[in-house]
Amino acid sequence: MSFGSPYLTLPEFEYHRPETIDEVIELLQKYGGDAAVMAGGVGLLAFMKERLVSPAHVIDIKGVKQLRQTKYTAGESIRIGASVTLSELAANDVLRTKFPALHNAASWIADSIIRERATLVGNMCEAIPWVDSPAALIALEAKVEIAGSQGTRSVNMDDFIRGPVEIDINPGEFVTGVMVPDVPPRKSAFDKFNTGAEFSLATVAVSVTTGKERKARIVYGAVSTKPVRCAEAEKIVVEEEASRRTFRKAAEAASESVECVSDVLASAEYRRQLIHLITMRALERVFEK
Amino acid sequence: MSKIVLKVNGQTRRLETKDSELLLDLLRDGLAVKSVKAACWRGECGLCTVLLNGHLVKSCLVLAVEAAGGEVTTAEGIGSDGELAPIQKAFIEHGAAQCGFCTPAFAITLHELLRKNPAPAQWELEEAVRGLICRCGTYNQIREAVASASSAYAGAEKSQNLVEGSR
Amino acid sequence: MPPQDAFLKVSGTALYTFDCEVAGTLHAKLVTSTMAHAKIVRIDTKKAREIPGLVAVLTGRDMPFRVGLYAGDRDLLAVDKVRWVGHPVAIVVAETLKDAERAAELVTVQYEALPSLLDPVQAMKDGAPLIHEKMEEYSHAPDFHPVIGTNIANRFTLFHGDVQKGFEQADTLVEEEFRISHVSHAYMETQNVIAQYKRDGSAEIWTSCQSPFMVRQILSESLKIPYNKIVVKAPFAGGGFGGKAGLGWEALVLLASKAVGGRPVRLLLSRMENFTSAASRDGMVANVKAGFKKDGKCTAYEVRFVVDAGAYADYTVNVSRTMGYAAEGVYEIPNVHCESLAVYTNKIPTTAMRGFGYPEGNWVLEQVFERAAKKLGIDPVRIRRINLVRPGESHTATGEPLREDAGDPAKVLETLVRDIGWNEKLSQPSSPWRIRSKGFALCVKGPSQPSRASASAIVKFNEDATIDLLVGTGNIGQGTTTALSQLVADQFGLQIESVRVDPVRDTSKSAYTWQTVGSRGLFADGMACLRACEDAKNQILGLASQALRLPRDQLEVVKGAVVAKGRPWLTIPLRELVTGYVYPNGNTIEGPIIGRGTSSSSLNTYLDPEKGQGVPTVFHTFGGAAVEIELDPTTGVIKVLKAASVFDVGKVINPLLLKMQLDGGFVMGLSIGLYEKIKFDEQGWVTNPNLSSYYVARMKDIPREFVADFVETPQSDGPLGARGIGELSMIAVASAISNAVFGATGVKLNDLPMSSEAVWKAIRAQRPDLLKSAMDGYDGVEIPMVARP
Repeated sequence: MSFGSPYLTLPEFEYHRPETIDEVIELLQKYGGDAAVMAGGVGLLAFMKERLVSPAHVIDIKGVKQLRQTKYTAGESIRIGASVTLSELAANDVLRTKFPALHNAASWIADSIIRERATLVGNMCEAIPWVDSPAALIALEAKVEIAGSQGTRSVNMDDFIRGPVEIDINPGEFVTGVMVPDVPPRKSAFDKFNTGAEFSLATVAVSVTTGKERKARIVYGAVSTKPVRCAEAEKIVVEEEASRRTFRKAAEAASESVECVSDVLASAEYRRQLIHLITMRALERVFEK
Repeated sequence: MSKIVLKVNGQTRRLETKDSELLLDLLRDGLAVKSVKAACWRGECGLCTVLLNGHLVKSCLVLAVEAAGGEVTTAEGIGSDGELAPIQKAFIEHGAAQCGFCTPAFAITLHELLRKNPAPAQWELEEAVRGLICRCGTYNQIREAVASASSAYAGAEKSQNLVEGSR
Repeated sequence: MPPQDAFLKVSGTALYTFDCEVAGTLHAKLVTSTMAHAKIVRIDTKKAREIPGLVAVLTGRDMPFRVGLYAGDRDLLAVDKVRWVGHPVAIVVAETLKDAERAAELVTVQYEALPSLLDPVQAMKDGAPLIHEKMEEYSHAPDFHPVIGTNIANRFTLFHGDVQKGFEQADTLVEEEFRISHVSHAYMETQNVIAQYKRDGSAEIWTSCQSPFMVRQILSESLKIPYNKIVVKAPFAGGGFGGKAGLGWEALVLLASKAVGGRPVRLLLSRMENFTSAASRDGMVANVKAGFKKDGKCTAYEVRFVVDAGAYADYTVNVSRTMGYAAEGVYEIPNVHCESLAVYTNKIPTTAMRGFGYPEGNWVLEQVFERAAKKLGIDPVRIRRINLVRPGESHTATGEPLREDAGDPAKVLETLVRDIGWNEKLSQPSSPWRIRSKGFALCVKGPSQPSRASASAIVKFNEDATIDLLVGTGNIGQGTTTALSQLVADQFGLQIESVRVDPVRDTSKSAYTWQTVGSRGLFADGMACLRACEDAKNQILGLASQALRLPRDQLEVVKGAVVAKGRPWLTIPLRELVTGYVYPNGNTIEGPIIGRGTSSSSLNTYLDPEKGQGVPTVFHTFGGAAVEIELDPTTGVIKVLKAASVFDVGKVINPLLLKMQLDGGFVMGLSIGLYEKIKFDEQGWVTNPNLSSYYVARMKDIPREFVADFVETPQSDGPLGARGIGELSMIAVASAISNAVFGATGVKLNDLPMSSEAVWKAIRAQRPDLLKSAMDGYDGVEIPMVARP
């Protein structure tokens, strides 16, 4: 996947700015596969400029007030609407304290100017291998909330991304937000390596819950064509006493077992090395006193 | 085509646009605001950065219609009373512009940063301009300009932590 | 004193070609090749012509011209075959940009694949398919020697002494292979041109370029238009760095304008097109063998540069030649043998880039010396000292006697060593497994210009004695025009505000200069300016002499007036002289004062075709870069903590401008050294034609501490003793960083860029023990890259 094109303009389209979710659905029904939903626009417009997609209708959902909201219900969940920007999330204290993996992932995507416009949902829906948010969302067992003419449905983030730029969305549907369950006591962390590139070469999101039994999710992004969990590393973290030795063991296991690709940014073997390093870092943060 | 009204650098402008026009092109071609540049058209270089309704945005990734009824400020408009903004003056004094193509974007971005955070730490400054490229490599002079303009934005003593061993 | 044009730039009112608007302009778009090497079977423009706004489609057949300054090898559009992915095959012209984009999409080309060569070493081999079959038809500037019947666009050889004897005398040998990948200039303003071929046969061109006069020359010679019927205008350029030094798209767009009945046509490249269709910097493979005695004295230096010139090699034939004649850098080596070959490949064409062959040569030379030092157990500073050229005594490897006022490399070295704190204890690394180190490299450069590269200046007084200074030096960000204004203002005792240089360079109005390249601006145009001031002063004093009835030698120009020496009450302000002098009774003598001056590199010679002997350049700016780095073996990340740059500029005219060049050049050198690489796949496609995966340093990547120092050994034929500096500041940076890594760890980094992955792999291969101990010590506790304090 290589970005860059001869185009300086956008293809022609009709712009719509509905004010309610129902209006969005109506428009999607009306225009079907010829319509695309736009939130921050930094993803969609860049793709359109390259003619990777050329929808005849662009539905700007920023006018739908409901979708701009972030709602936290203690003990239940945090719901983040589709138009909530990354910079709004970066400033969200509840996210920072209770969902650090997601907060970290959101706060360091791209750059501060892009984050003023880019949305969490937009970022995850891009689903190119190098976006940061999916790994964090998967680690935190997020659910993707989708609305369409048939009603609403909810998909586990684990299953939402099927492959590069391939998500579980049908024509006529759009993502209205994500729901991240608040299941204390949960600790989480996100880390990444992106020296020498504006995309991440490797990311990791770790979530450990220590309720009746310890559960762990360790998810890697940017190293494969889509985010992947590492069962071997998760097993080690669940079964063994939290210590640097354990973290190193888990990191080594991840480094060896996670399927990595070689692409324009990095080779698979370098990604393995990075996996080792960022896994240890993320685990240290999760378990720090 | 649709008619929109927006304020640009304090002046109300009325013009026609179409749905597929970018804010970048509305400003440059429709309104002849040439300080807004473009070097990548993909949101990587940041040279198209403007203030839209108080937020920094990369105008190559914003539709013109999204600015309807709004306010855009560019490098020509961050000063006041016919004077350049303090950061702009500091840029001149400290040689923070070489070819100058990135300068308007840096000026707006740093003006915004200093208004909110008059004495940024090094890492805050670096993060604020993370989305901008200066190929001439004038970053060190830009740092010095920020340090020197700091007091004008704070009305306080010149921030020490920004001047690190540069001769 | 800040650059004069700073106000325009910070206020957003500086005008670039990107901002120019000409009424009635049509929009052009390129159709480019999708094959690295192929015959063009058919170009189908039928569908494109159906677009309502389409005005014209042109292909190579419509413009049978080849252009080039040193090697006339370049077609304006592909003729008969394409030579790289991105090779323009057709140009469409339409009423709107959108129409042009749509029309370009609809032009289809049928190709018949030819075997392609992506590796210069392969391309050099006997029997390799020819990329340019008709090389013997190409024009060549004197001093360039293509090897007909091969893919070798230029061959340069240098023989100085006898390297075999030198090797026999050596106590130790260093043998290495070094590689550099293609790099993009990545100037922020992409290439763009507005050209109009008017009905009366005259041409007007707005272009983002470094050499408007050279553009005019090439257009005139190839299109057979008299020079004075072509007007090339160059406003501020958003960066050039050598990538806009030559002819860009001007000829193509001008002919497109002709084809549409003389309407102006604009071509603006997208960033991706700039990566893939505009020229990049050359790649290089170098094999070197050097011999050293026990005391560190270099006895022999043998190097072969195989320069990857891409599909067209115009400037690169000179870049590769320069690599050859400058191979020995700042050292006096008794036996040097160099062969430098510019080789065509089926990749992006290449051209000049800041440094012009010196950075490539420096990457080889300075690391060889560092490795010799280690082998011999000698301090790297000492091995430099022992081998430095001695101005006034040494000869260069091309046989040029080094003048005494050429500079003081020994002082540069001492100052550099002091500024980086070479002998001070290293500070503690930020984490126990990381390593701190220091490294340095020396460098030298002069402009690689032909002897006929001249400059001129016109000092034109206005009625109020302010000056319009006409020069040919362009504004690409280097601020030279400010230094020139300073020089001129000082000559008349005026404030710098009294001297204006127009922002736009216009071949019909500006004074001629050869090109804005090679760090020659201050030196060449500066001398022309000083001579123009002399000329103006002569006229002024002659006039004042009549007016005051005093001999000329009794008068001088001080603070904007002519004053009699020792009798300050006898004075006439300049404004009463510069448009003629009016006597009290009304008689008027003389008229407007126009001072003129020129300069040329008169004593440059061609280089002997076999031995490479001669005088290729007009000055040698000596300098160096030093760094303090922190290396993380676990990731291969090199963080440069402190930068030191020292240059012998002869005379500091404007300290701020110099600092800007030094710091800015350092950043570019760092970026190229650590991050930049144009990546190609096996079919010759560029896989990273964007600024996310082709990484250019941002503020977070640069050192927090910059030290810049100047040595002043005035050069007698430079303006006030000054030499050039523009390119110098980036030449030694990559080498300095690599030497820092090598010095601390013994790990050789022979390839550029020193990406974190490449460094990690090198450590893993060469010092597995170091990697292991770093991994053992790694605790994952250090401040993570993501969170902040």
